[in-house]
This record gives sequence, structure tokens and C-alpha cells, in this order.
Amino acid sequence: MSNQQLRRVAIVGGVRIPFCRSNTAYAELTNLDMLADTLQMLVDKFGLAGRKIDEVVAGAVTTHAKDWNLAREALLSTTLSPATPGITLQIACGTSLEAALMSAAKIASGQIDCAIAAGSDTTSDAPVVFQRKFARRLIRQGQARSLYSRLAHFKGFSLSELTPQVPAAGEPRTRLSMGQHCELMARDWGISREAQDHLAMASHMNAVAAFDSGFFDDLVLPYHGVVRDNNLRADSSLEKLASLKPAFGSGAAGASAAATLTAGNSTPLTDGASAVLLVSEEYAHAHQLPVQAFLTQGRTAAVDFVQGEGLLMAPAIAVAEMLQRAGLALQDFDFYELHEAFAAQILCTLKAWEDEDYCRNRLDLPNALGSIDRSKLNVHGSSLAFGHPFAATGTRILGSLAKMLEQKGSGRGLISVCTAGGMGVTAILER
Amino acid sequence: MGDNEALYRHWHVDRDRDDILWLHLDRAGENVNSLSSEVLEEFEQLINHAETSKPRGVAILSSKPTGFVFGADVREFDSFSTTETVIAAIQRVHGMFNRLERLPCTTVVAVEGYCLGGGLELALACNYRIAKDVPATKFGFPEVQLGIFPGFGGSARSVATIGGMKAMELMLSARQVGARAAKALGLIDEVIGRHEELYWAARRAILSRKRSRSPSISARLSNTAPARKILADQMRKKTAARVRKEHYPAPYRLIALWEQYGNKPQKMMQEEAKAVGELMLSPAAVGLRRVFSLMERLKAEGKQSAFKARRVHVIGAGVMGGDIAAWCVLRGLEVSLQDRELKYIEPALQRAAKLFKKKLRDPVKVKAALNRLRPDVSGERVAQADVVIEAIFENLEAKQALFRDLEPRLKAGAVLASNTSAIPLEQLASVLQAPERLIGLHFFNPVASMPLVEIIRSDQTDTEQVKKAAAFCGQINRFPLVVKSSPGFLVNRVLGPYMMTALSIHLEGIPAEAIDAAAEAFGMPMGPLELADTVGLDVCLMVTDVLGKDQGEAERQFIKRYVDTGKLGKKSGEGIYRWKDDKAQKNPDKITGHDLTVISNRLVNVYINECEAALNDGIVTDADLLDAGMIFGTGFAPFRGGPLYYREHQQHEQQSNAAQLTDDSATVNPGEQK
Repeated sequence: MSNQQLRRVAIVGGVRIPFCRSNTAYAELTNLDMLADTLQMLVDKFGLAGRKIDEVVAGAVTTHAKDWNLAREALLSTTLSPATPGITLQIACGTSLEAALMSAAKIASGQIDCAIAAGSDTTSDAPVVFQRKFARRLIRQGQARSLYSRLAHFKGFSLSELTPQVPAAGEPRTRLSMGQHCELMARDWGISREAQDHLAMASHMNAVAAFDSGFFDDLVLPYHGVVRDNNLRADSSLEKLASLKPAFGSGAAGASAAATLTAGNSTPLTDGASAVLLVSEEYAHAHQLPVQAFLTQGRTAAVDFVQGEGLLMAPAIAVAEMLQRAGLALQDFDFYELHEAFAAQILCTLKAWEDEDYCRNRLDLPNALGSIDRSKLNVHGSSLAFGHPFAATGTRILGSLAKMLEQKGSGRGLISVCTAGGMGVTAILER
Repeated sequence: MGDNEALYRHWHVDRDRDDILWLHLDRAGENVNSLSSEVLEEFEQLINHAETSKPRGVAILSSKPTGFVFGADVREFDSFSTTETVIAAIQRVHGMFNRLERLPCTTVVAVEGYCLGGGLELALACNYRIAKDVPATKFGFPEVQLGIFPGFGGSARSVATIGGMKAMELMLSARQVGARAAKALGLIDEVIGRHEELYWAARRAILSRKRSRSPSISARLSNTAPARKILADQMRKKTAARVRKEHYPAPYRLIALWEQYGNKPQKMMQEEAKAVGELMLSPAAVGLRRVFSLMERLKAEGKQSAFKARRVHVIGAGVMGGDIAAWCVLRGLEVSLQDRELKYIEPALQRAAKLFKKKLRDPVKVKAALNRLRPDVSGERVAQADVVIEAIFENLEAKQALFRDLEPRLKAGAVLASNTSAIPLEQLASVLQAPERLIGLHFFNPVASMPLVEIIRSDQTDTEQVKKAAAFCGQINRFPLVVKSSPGFLVNRVLGPYMMTALSIHLEGIPAEAIDAAAEAFGMPMGPLELADTVGLDVCLMVTDVLGKDQGEAERQFIKRYVDTGKLGKKSGEGIYRWKDDKAQKNPDKITGHDLTVISNRLVNVYINECEAALNDGIVTDADLLDAGMIFGTGFAPFRGGPLYYREHQQHEQQSNAAQLTDDSATVNPGEQK
């Protein structure tokens, strides 16, 4: 590689299928189906048929072992040139945003000229496997040579071993679900039920308005008879949200505390896929592709949740670190696209940025980052409204924010996504 | 490797390192593959080649993205002039398919997309059949819809492969089945997923010498003599409930063939050639081929514009508006339905839910469809719509006010249409800033089962709008017929005098039952008086007034009396007939003693006279389009090829009969010898 200057990374545009609650309209589809079809939509949208793209980087979180080459297999089912490499990548809910950051770095440094970042997830096609004990028996039995030794591997077999294992959306080290972890965070930061419900309500209202105004017409394309995200509620109200029962019990959050997370202010299990096309500025000009925005910064961080930090607090740290490197203040943005895994997650993050103590001690900053203009937060809705197919959320946001900046003409947008395992992925788009 | 590809125009031929002979069908000069005589001649040479060069296996695939094979080339059927030449052509294909079947190597066919008629017959002559499980993959025998039945050995081979019970049902119903259903039937041997490759599946099958499994016990049992007797009787009964033998002989002939030879495939194939040869030149087959080509012509009208709608806005949630909205939703579109208050929209939503349940069945798909249909009292969705259809009550001022309000809110490029059947388009368009924009989209009731839509244009209408409207019709699976704006357009203009004549005959004292039976004996799907009841007598009265013909005051008064007393026909439970469970209560005794031919001649005469008048008035551009409109708009006896074609044909026949009588050397018509 030459020591040339870094190149600007252009976002040409994104596309996604409508997101659907788990086990509804996409129940019969696999990650491979949805990812292939979404990539094809992107190919059709930007006339990429027959074109060799330097790399397609994509992944899924809830995934089958047989999908070990998911990105490559998916692109082979499209009209992209089969000479296009596919890289399968995974970092929980940050998957497709991380995919975009990695490709963007390669584009910036001149290694590649164009890339597609994408993600798909379905919990309708979750891999159900045998427990390890029984699986080991089967493997050893397959290796055995005599009938006797084959049978010997089933010595001590109990029927309970046949109970299949379903992947749990929980933390392996703490055995708490995401929701239970977030419930703990809400308690630490004193986040009220009302504040969470308000945020959820705003998300639905913003998303419905964006759909009705046609904002999503070229971003969300009809798929299997579905024309908009089926988690979206145009008839949502604060009264309805207030009537919902806590979803994660009060037990995990501690007996004394009243639980505040409900099905209304948490994201449901969701099926869906999304994709974004990233290119160098030169490539965009050469191929007459539009440039909606530039991807200028990215940062991934992690917290020590095992020792008691809030599991989903890593975006607070990643953003702080990213802002320092970029020389920007938290207030220097026109749009804040903060992924709403739970309303409480966003509210904790915002509160942490406003907290002198946290910013000094945890973020090593001289002062608090301060508060943001809430009218700039998730202005066209976010995951509480659309749903959250883990790996698809990153490129869902990239596609939306790039279009928002294009419509605005110029400006800057901040993206953050929290992930399992106490990590967070963040990025900045500018135009 | 030794195979000269240049020898073949329609096949890509390749012999690979595994000594497999690959035959990729890619019919030259066509978008889709069909088995034309040229394609088959080349195939015969390829069989010769396979016989002499002895490859390890033969694999047959398509190179077209549009599918495998749609069938024989129907356009060539009309070139046959005698039964003998048809039989000879069929026997030649039998010969090559038999030789394909007898090749000592493994023969594999691998299918994605349509595999119909002759394509399926070719597939059945292979050892092993593979299909890719994508929605486009369809297997079926459409032949009876063309007045014949499978003639490339398909009747005998399908019966031998999957048993008479299943095979006959497929051939008689002409229904199409997907890959997985075809596997369940035993038509194909292996299904591969959408992310797998046909080429490699075919190679795998040849290297491991795969063979189709022998037919199941139940399949073989269904071909035994006692089973055939029982099943054939059932099939005849079922067929009789749908079509008459004198109108549509093909299914009856197929049943008789199977009943007689169902356990002797070779004999059945020989007889198949004779039967199909005779059917091919029968008037029904000639008429149905014409219907097929007319249908293709109407469909082609819808392909002249790349316009593709995503959202439709319908104003007026009455029967027509509501049902148009529901139909568009069913076809995958997003629809907003507007009326003054939600309570006027709710009945339409309920009917739509019923339609979705019936057509889609899967509750998940029904839910998705319901989500695509949105009530919109304030009409805020107009600005998002690609097609806006007005279907409010027939009142000029109300419609004009609506169009005035709509025009400035429309999205650029959106189609603006009225579903009026009573008000001249010009009067509606006159209030618009761009009057050339407005078109008429005249749907028929019931929308879900009437395949025709009249696209109304006036002299000032922009042709581009007409093309877009036709493309929209294609998108929602409807045949567009462009007609000139004039009272009754085409279909109602012809139906009006036809129904009035039926009423005059009725007023002369002939029972409704006899009149309807006469029309049905001619081949109409429903008699004119039952039709009047079904459409609604109030609607008939309105149409009569629109047509404004001075004839038939007595008839008008007759209907008016019914309407005034609330007897509107089917929808009110009583009209000319009493209705029970949506069925007209007819007394069959009333038919006896009436000469049905005399009645039907009178009816059909009026009907065709009006067709000729409409053609002369330039309502449609040519006689073929007129015939197409009347067949798909009113169900005019399809096997007769359309009203104008029928009259011309009749006159022709009368002349030649007269010539034959004077000639006095009448020979036996080859079609009649048996």
C-alpha cells in the first residue's frame, strides 16, 4: 500500500425489507433467504447486476452452523458477479455497523473501492441443537467400529439428554437476559417507567410519520406481502403503554425494586435484513452513483459488565472516545441515531453523558459531555418502533441517516448501537 | 469435445469431462422456450447423436431465465389442415420421446420456472426429474384449455408414472403445481432449495445413476380395470358439472381413453395420437386457440409501459370501490380506501377479509394483506398513490367536485381514473386543469372473478395515460381493453339489448328457465335473466337509462316494477327468480316444450348485431379486440371463438353447405368417422 492520503468513504444508499416480529410473516424464511433478497434489492436499486463488488461483509447473530459462509452464499444467490468475495462477520447487535466500519477503513486506505455491508437476523429459524452430552455420544458412536463399542457410548443415557437446546438471548456469564441487565441499569441510573414509555411513544409516532410522509419509500421495499414493519403501532398511546406489565420480572432486578421494562418500551424479537453500499468518492463519480453522506468516524468499545458495569453502557464510552478523536463535542450533531434496544438503555446513556462524576471517573473527561437536543433524537423512529433484527439494525440506521443528511443538504449525524457482551459500536456520518 | 454446437440453433450442446451430454434449450428469437417443430427436429438429431455417441448421461436444462418450457408452440397448431398430418406430427414426437426414454444412459431433466404441457411430457420421458424450489417453478398440463389433451405421450406417461387418479386430475383440471407439490405427486424425483444449483444436482444424479422410483402401489391400483371404471364415472360427473360434452369434447375423450387403455401405456399412447389429432381440428379447439391468442393480445396491451404501481387510492367504499380495493391488495399492492365515514368503509373491509381468507388461506398472509388495506376517511393518502380510482355514486356534480379537489393533490405521474359506467368521461374531465389526464377504469362485478377491465378514453385522452392504465391492469392480473368513451362502453352496450330481448321473450310468455337454458345451451356461462338478477335489476335499469335506446319501454317498466318493490335480484333474495343460498331457484319442468334453438338464435342475433354496430362505431379498434372483450367481459361461449368470429364462421359454413348440396358429392367429414 502506498502512503497516500486517506480517501473519503461515501455512502451511496441503503435498503431493507420491512422488519417483522418473530414467527409472523417471515416465519418460513431463513437468514440466507432474507440476506440474499435484501442484497438483490440493493443490486437492483443501484444497477449493480453483473458487477464485481470488492467485498460483501455481512452476518447474522442467531445463526445456524451450516450458515458458516453466509455472506458468500447469499451473494451467490444474487445477480452480483460471482467474483465478489463474501466475508461473514459477527459482533452481536453491532454486526452490520461493524461490517460497514471495517469496509470503510479499507476504502479509506485504498485497499478496496467498493463494499456492501449487510446484516440479517431471524429468531423464527433459530438453530435448535442437542445438548452437548448427547451430541458427544452421537459423534463418538459415529467413530466407533464395532456394534458393541457403538452401544457402549449410550451407557448411562437418560431421556432428559434429548431435551433440545434453544439459543437464549441472554448473557452466558451472568445468566441474565438483556432485559434483566437493562432493568439493573435503569435502577442504577434512576430511570422512571414514564420516561421509558414516553421515549417508546415518540419512537412509534416518529416512525409512523416518516412512513406516511414517504421517507421510507425507497429504503423499505415490499417483501412477502409486507409493506411496513409490523411492530409499528399507529394507534399507540401512553395509556396503553402504561397498562403493560413488566416483561422481565422484578426478581432479577432485586426484590425491593419495581420493574420498569415492558414489552412496550423494549424491542421484540424481530426478523429482517438490511444492506448499505459504500464506495470511495472516485468510484461513485466513475459509476455515476449518488453520494448521500460520508462515513467519517467509527469506534467500538466494551465495559466490564462481569464486575458490575451496566451491560449496555459501552456506547456511552465508544461515543466519548470517538468524539475526542474527532475533536467534536456531543452537541455538534444534527441527528442522533441511538439504537433503542430498550428505552432505558438510551435514557441511561443520555444520563451518563450528563453526569459529571461518570464522565470524569469512567470516561476520563474533564467535564460532563452534556445533554443533547432531544428533538434531534431518532427523528424518524428507531428500534422500539421498527423492531430489532440484531445484525440488521446497524445498516438499517446507516441507510436512514445517510438519507436524512442528504435531504438536509449538509450536517452531521451520530450513530450508536449497544451489543451483547457489554460492547458498543458507534459511527459518525457527515455531509 | 467433438459436438459441433453450431449445428443447432436452439440448443447449446456440450459434452463435458465426465462424458455427460448437456442439452441446454435456448430457443432462438424467443423470450421463452416452447417446443416448436424446429426445436423438436433438432432434438431428434440430438437423440440420434446420443444413441450413437453413447454418453454416460444426458442432462436437459433451459438456458432461459424465463423458465424451462411453456409447452408446444400453440401458434403452429393452426397450420395443420388435416387430422392425418396432426397424427403424423404427433407420432414423430412420440418416436423421439420413446427413443429418449430407451437411451441406455441416465437421462436427467432439471427444471426451474415453468414446465408445462409439452415440457412436462418431455420431462416424463427422462429417467430422473429435478426441480428447484422457487415460486416460479410450476408443473401442469394446460392442454384441455386449448380443446385438446397432452399429446406428446404425456397422457400415457403421466398415468403410468403417478397413476390415473392423480394424473387425470392434473390433466382435467389443467391446474399448476409447485415443486414440492409435484414431488408429493410423484411427478418429479428431487427438489433442490433456492440456494442450490440445478447443474450440479443433474451431474450428481447422472454420476450416481439415479432412476425415478417405480410408481406407488396406490398409483398402480388406480390404473386397474375396476378402479378405472369407478374413477372414470366420477371424473365424467365432475367434468359434466363444469362443461358440456358437445361444447368441450376433449376432457370426455381423455377420460374414455384412460378408461379403455389406462393399464396399457403403449396402446394408450397410440390412441392418444389419434384422439389428439382429431381434437386438434375440432371447432372447439380452433375456438379455444383463438381465445388463447386473444388473451395474449390483451396481455400484450399491458406491456407497453414500464409503469408499476405500489400504492392505490380508491374513493368510494361501495360494492365496486371496496372490491376493487380488495382485489388490488390481494395482488400485493398497498391500498387506501376512502369514504365519508369509517362506518361506510367497514363493510368493504369485512368483505376484503373474507376474500383474503378464501384466496390466501395462510393466516400470516391474510394478516399481511389486511395490513396493506387502510381505511382513509380524510383522503390523506392521495398524495402517495400511484393510481387514484374514483368509485363514488353516479352523480356528475359530486364527481366533478371530487376531481377538482383531487387534481392538485396528485403525485406527479399518478394515474387518475373513474370507475363510472354512466357518465361520459369528457364531462368529468372538463373540470380538470389537465383533462387529458383522466381515464376510465371500468371494472365488472364481481371484481375478483371478472378478468376484463375496460379502459375508457376520449378523443382528448393522453395515450401515455392509457398505456399506464393498461400496465396497471396487467399488474393486478386483469386484461385491459381500450374502448372509446360512449354510452355503455362495449360490454354493457351489448349486454343491454341482449337482456332486453330476453325480457321481451319473457313478456311473450316464455318462462325465464327456458330462456336461460337456451343461452346456456349455446354456451353462455349464465342465462341473460339470471345474469340480470345477479347484476341487480336496479343496475340493469340504470344501464338501460344510460344506453337511452328508444326501444323497449314495456321491458323497462317490467324491471322498474321489480325495482320499485325492492326486488333487486340476487342481492335482495328475489328478482326474476327467487334466490336461496346465492342460487336461483329454477323449475326444470318449465323448460320442456320450448324450442331452445329458436330462443337462442333470437338472443344471439341481437347480441352479435350490437357487436357489429359497436365495431362500426369504432368503440374498439378491430374485430379481434371486440371478440376478446365479449369473451372475457361476458363469458361469451369461449369455444365459439367470439361473437364476430362465430357469425363469420356461420356464414362461411352456410355458404359451403349450400355449395356442397349443389355439388352433390358430399363426402364424410373426417372429423366424424369413428
